[in-house]
Amino acid sequence: MPHRLEIALKSDLFDAEGEGVCQKAKDYLGIRLKNVRVIHVLTIDANLSAEQLGTVQKEIFTNPVTQISSFDPLPLEFDWTIWVGYRPGVRDNPGSTAVEAIEDILGITFAEDEAVFTSKRYCIGGVDPGIDQVDKIAGELLANDIIQQWKILSKKDWNPETGFGLIIPKVILDHNPAVTSVPIDSDASLQDISAKRNLALNPNDIPTIRSYFLKKEVQAARAKVGLSDPTDVELEYISQARSDHCNHNTFQGLFHYRDLTNNQTELVDNLFKTFIEAPTLELKKKKSWVVSVLWDNAGVGSFDDNNYYVITGETHNSPSNMEAYGGALTGIVGIYRDPMGTGLGSKLVMGSYGFCVGPRNYTGNLKPRLHPRRLFDGVIEGVRDGGNKSGIPTPFGQVFFHHGYMGKCLVFVTAVGIMPATVRGKPSDKKSISHGDLVIMCGGRVGKDGIHGVTASSETFSASTPAGHVQIGDPYTQKKMHDFLLEARDQGFIQFITDNGGGGLSSSVGESARFSNGCEIQLEKVPLKYEGLDQWEIWVSESQERMTVAVKPEHLERFLKLSATHAVVSTVIGRYTDSGKLHLTYNGKTCTYIDIDFMTSAFPQWVFEAEWLTPEIRGFFEPVLKTPSDYAKIFTDLLSRPNISSKEWITRQYDHEVQGTSVIKPLVGADRDMNSDAGVIRPVLESEKGLAFAQALLPTYSAIDAYHMAACTIDEAVRRILSVGANVDHIGGVDNFCWPNIQYDPTDNPNGKFKAAQLVRASKAVRDICMAYKIPLLSGKDSMYVDGHLKGQYGETHKISALETLQFSTIGVIDDISKCVTMDGKVPGDLVYILGTTCDELGGSEYYEQFGYVGRNVPKVHPDRFMDLYNALGRAVEKELPASIHGIYRGGLGVHLAMVAMGGNLGMDIDLSLVPKDEISRDDYVLFSESAGRFIVTLDPAKRESFEKIFQEFPFGHIGTLTEKLYFIIKGIEGNPIIRVPTKDLKSAWKRPFGKLI
Amino acid sequence: MNDVNVLVLTGYGLNCDNETVHSVSIAGGKSHRVHINSVLDQTVSIDQFQIMILGGGFSWGDDHGAGVIEAVRLKKTLGESIIEFVKNGNLVLGICNGFQALVNMGLLPGFDRDHNRRSVALIFNDCGNFRNDWVTLKTNPASPCVFTKGLDQIELPVRHGEGKFYSADSVTERLFQNSQVAVQYAMPDGSLANGRFPYNPNGSIHDIAGICDPTGRIFGLMPHPEAFNHPTNHPDWTRKREIAKRRGERMDNASPLGIHIFQNAVDAIKQNS
Repeated sequence: MPHRLEIALKSDLFDAEGEGVCQKAKDYLGIRLKNVRVIHVLTIDANLSAEQLGTVQKEIFTNPVTQISSFDPLPLEFDWTIWVGYRPGVRDNPGSTAVEAIEDILGITFAEDEAVFTSKRYCIGGVDPGIDQVDKIAGELLANDIIQQWKILSKKDWNPETGFGLIIPKVILDHNPAVTSVPIDSDASLQDISAKRNLALNPNDIPTIRSYFLKKEVQAARAKVGLSDPTDVELEYISQARSDHCNHNTFQGLFHYRDLTNNQTELVDNLFKTFIEAPTLELKKKKSWVVSVLWDNAGVGSFDDNNYYVITGETHNSPSNMEAYGGALTGIVGIYRDPMGTGLGSKLVMGSYGFCVGPRNYTGNLKPRLHPRRLFDGVIEGVRDGGNKSGIPTPFGQVFFHHGYMGKCLVFVTAVGIMPATVRGKPSDKKSISHGDLVIMCGGRVGKDGIHGVTASSETFSASTPAGHVQIGDPYTQKKMHDFLLEARDQGFIQFITDNGGGGLSSSVGESARFSNGCEIQLEKVPLKYEGLDQWEIWVSESQERMTVAVKPEHLERFLKLSATHAVVSTVIGRYTDSGKLHLTYNGKTCTYIDIDFMTSAFPQWVFEAEWLTPEIRGFFEPVLKTPSDYAKIFTDLLSRPNISSKEWITRQYDHEVQGTSVIKPLVGADRDMNSDAGVIRPVLESEKGLAFAQALLPTYSAIDAYHMAACTIDEAVRRILSVGANVDHIGGVDNFCWPNIQYDPTDNPNGKFKAAQLVRASKAVRDICMAYKIPLLSGKDSMYVDGHLKGQYGETHKISALETLQFSTIGVIDDISKCVTMDGKVPGDLVYILGTTCDELGGSEYYEQFGYVGRNVPKVHPDRFMDLYNALGRAVEKELPASIHGIYRGGLGVHLAMVAMGGNLGMDIDLSLVPKDEISRDDYVLFSESAGRFIVTLDPAKRESFEKIFQEFPFGHIGTLTEKLYFIIKGIEGNPIIRVPTKDLKSAWKRPFGKLI
Repeated sequence: MNDVNVLVLTGYGLNCDNETVHSVSIAGGKSHRVHINSVLDQTVSIDQFQIMILGGGFSWGDDHGAGVIEAVRLKKTLGESIIEFVKNGNLVLGICNGFQALVNMGLLPGFDRDHNRRSVALIFNDCGNFRNDWVTLKTNPASPCVFTKGLDQIELPVRHGEGKFYSADSVTERLFQNSQVAVQYAMPDGSLANGRFPYNPNGSIHDIAGICDPTGRIFGLMPHPEAFNHPTNHPDWTRKREIAKRRGERMDNASPLGIHIFQNAVDAIKQNS
């Protein structure tokens, strides 16, 4: 019989959670509440005696100092009460740990059908909010109907004895697992099945699939194992493996690129091979520190003689867009499995985030599933819990607001790991599988969650997207597995390891079986969360926190024993073979028998038309804008633009110091509140070497030309790590492309050809700049279909496409962390320098955006010139000359001079006539141009000579001084004073939009 | 001289074990990173150690009150032997999640030698969120706390969502009477924070950041001394370096103050033996 335990804080204690609900009800929904108290509810669906219940109530679930609890509803006062619980099948992490604790204290084991479910009851005292408002609070603040259910009762309808009753969200599938075979008599019928089963097979693939199953020798081989037509397990497998998410069909596509201005055409066969793989392979030959790229779950670089670092990044956009918290949490926890599954496995040492969302204060008529503010809150919290509970620091992150992300948000997650260069004398980056090695699945159990996640993210978001692919990650289970796998690695038990991400076992086993050329899997051995899953569901489920490991039979016993010590579930589900076949059985009966090389065989390449029109031809022009007179106002207004302003509240929620490795924190300066250009960690505690890491994204430049967007993005990411002292000779890159759909359709995607051209151009820029800067691409991913269809005020629907977005990450090794530099001005009297040339490049800038302009003169990168300057900066850092270095990024020189002054809480005297300029003669343009390749450096006057000597051949200017008088003062080009404002006023403007958030 | 053997627990979501081991080594102790299960099933006996450290992390996900399940687990299997461990002159340190576990086990505050009673609690921060920031701590010179001896004011990072110290007035009074309040949140000038956010980052009553038992040999605190194991961990280190350079000096590379807490523990054991 189930029991419901209600737990609440004692009435005299401040309820921070309840207070948070009050605050958000007021801020987000305009509903004023008197008070909210939160009751935590445990529904224990297990056969426990009264005495046992008393023990768990007292010993585990009630803190005698602060809490009260009862198996009857707690008699808290309210006008309305809302109960919120999970829907059946949604991962309930606290429920699982409650089971662990109860089992332990009572010395019992829960039966298969016993469980604990957690939920919450909110007791709301209000100035009489009506039912509509309470419903709004439930649906728009407390619960997301994709994963949660809720009930509301008023004071007069409340029965104090029964409360909301006993709600048990148990999954009961009254279903006998069965394999179905699918007729393939015609392309049309297979297409039909694909649509019905939501397989998302590409129509072009269908003939290839059919012809394989119609081959005589294939049919003969299948007949021997009792198969004829393909089974649903097989087609689901093919669908997963061929999805754009897994196979990157867009990036491997054939592009007919045409420049419509001069009608020149160019054929690009495979963007990935041409613009990513080829340059990286070429650079690998020149850079001895590149250890392993382009094949494993993440790229590997050399940290020192004894250690390698591992890096990769991806996005988790579609799930986050539907269930922000769960999607983002699953995203960060998921990316952490990639370094764990790289080489023989690495230890995670840092993570980072990049969020692109709609305007937080959006008040327009479009109706996204989740208001951008709510979505943003959920995304922030998801990555927070995923990172913090994994014990992995988050020393860097970035946020970008833009209307284009209303259709689909972007959640970038990046992970860095470290591993010993050798494991028991063997190189740790290499791994192989032999015939006879066992296939072991480690970590969580398999349920229906995540099914068709991969295919859903390969489609544009619409109302019919199945919600089933949303899930909630479990960092606790994964942390246990992480610790276990590192020990197993060091014991030499791991032959091969890879993670279960998109596509689940179908992808991890399907791909790893290529290393031995075959496998035999017994699907009935896979541990399930509940009975009733079909075979194909077990095979493609994306239930989280799982790794697939190849282990030699002679190591099995010790491997499993170690797994048990770490309280990790590990199960042998089959073995690798050299049969050339992927062979799946269920209770002895074959349900899949496919040639291992089928997935790598000749599927038709996707083909795209790409048509480029220059910004000039498209009618872009520079605005007719005369110089402003009120610079103090334009400064404070720019500093309080959402994409410039302080977002300290996010940074502080993220543990950026766990592991004790922090060298340069995300927040620096006298008040520890300025954004650092980059993060630096000391991943090997015994070493004085560091890893510098930064990211950039500049999607607004795509409105003009995605080539320059990509070039500037890479340049910014490079300047960011150089600013903290990274070495120009060792910079690794990670490219993450997020693009709207590029497949032309006259009605649904009329500008598809242009977006395709933008993708070709951005990819070209990645090649050009990476070759010039000598940055091998250690890892990268693409996520297409960043579009959404949103309802408007009249019931009409709008397609909202994101700006073409590239997030670029840079990583570098710092030989001596004691030479690291931060961006904050340090000492009054220090000289202020600018390095690099300021040009008339305000296209896509914050300054133009402030007035609603786009402009045309997008910033451009001149890699050869820039690279020489960056090398010179490296020499200055090596000699420990600069007191501070800060790149000039979005907002331009003016905004970033202010950052340097604010960082030191100092004044600054600047003379714009001393800024090196190229064809630019207006104060506002010099201040707010976003030209690439520039830095601000502050310097001890005693170092002046040696510093200027290093830069004598480059454009630089000694443009001013840091002062004690606490005023930020700028003299214009003509010598006229244009601004004099206390530095602290600038800072308060910079903190205005989000400064009150915690 | 025998080694000072230090047990650093790991597993079940704990996550500060490696840097704690590193800090202990800098302090001259011999650290042993041991999985909780190996201690619980007695594969590893706690008797071979002189210092036991329950470090930071999210034990069992911290879903039912931070440190609660860890406390239940340890108490059920090891309860008496930990009390015995301390009686034998050994030391116990709980950091962040470990502090939460110590108070939930009742090892702290340990009035009247009762090491089973829960009488203080660490609850959700008043600010309503997890927070990572550096704080200034003022130590209590009158405290018997072995770990804070000779320290006056230290800066350390906090990284928690549930760090608000709470106890009934009568309990708090006793804590102060016994000088068991070893560290309190303070302003940069060393005066008490008096609840001012963010100097007192979580709303702890009387700015209490850490307490010890009446013997001073069991100590728990929310801030993380192991995260200040290198001069570059300090948020102001590049500024301090620059100012030192102007005086023609190198940055002070003496072992950072976080290590002193471990050093005090190791030294106390050495002096005892």
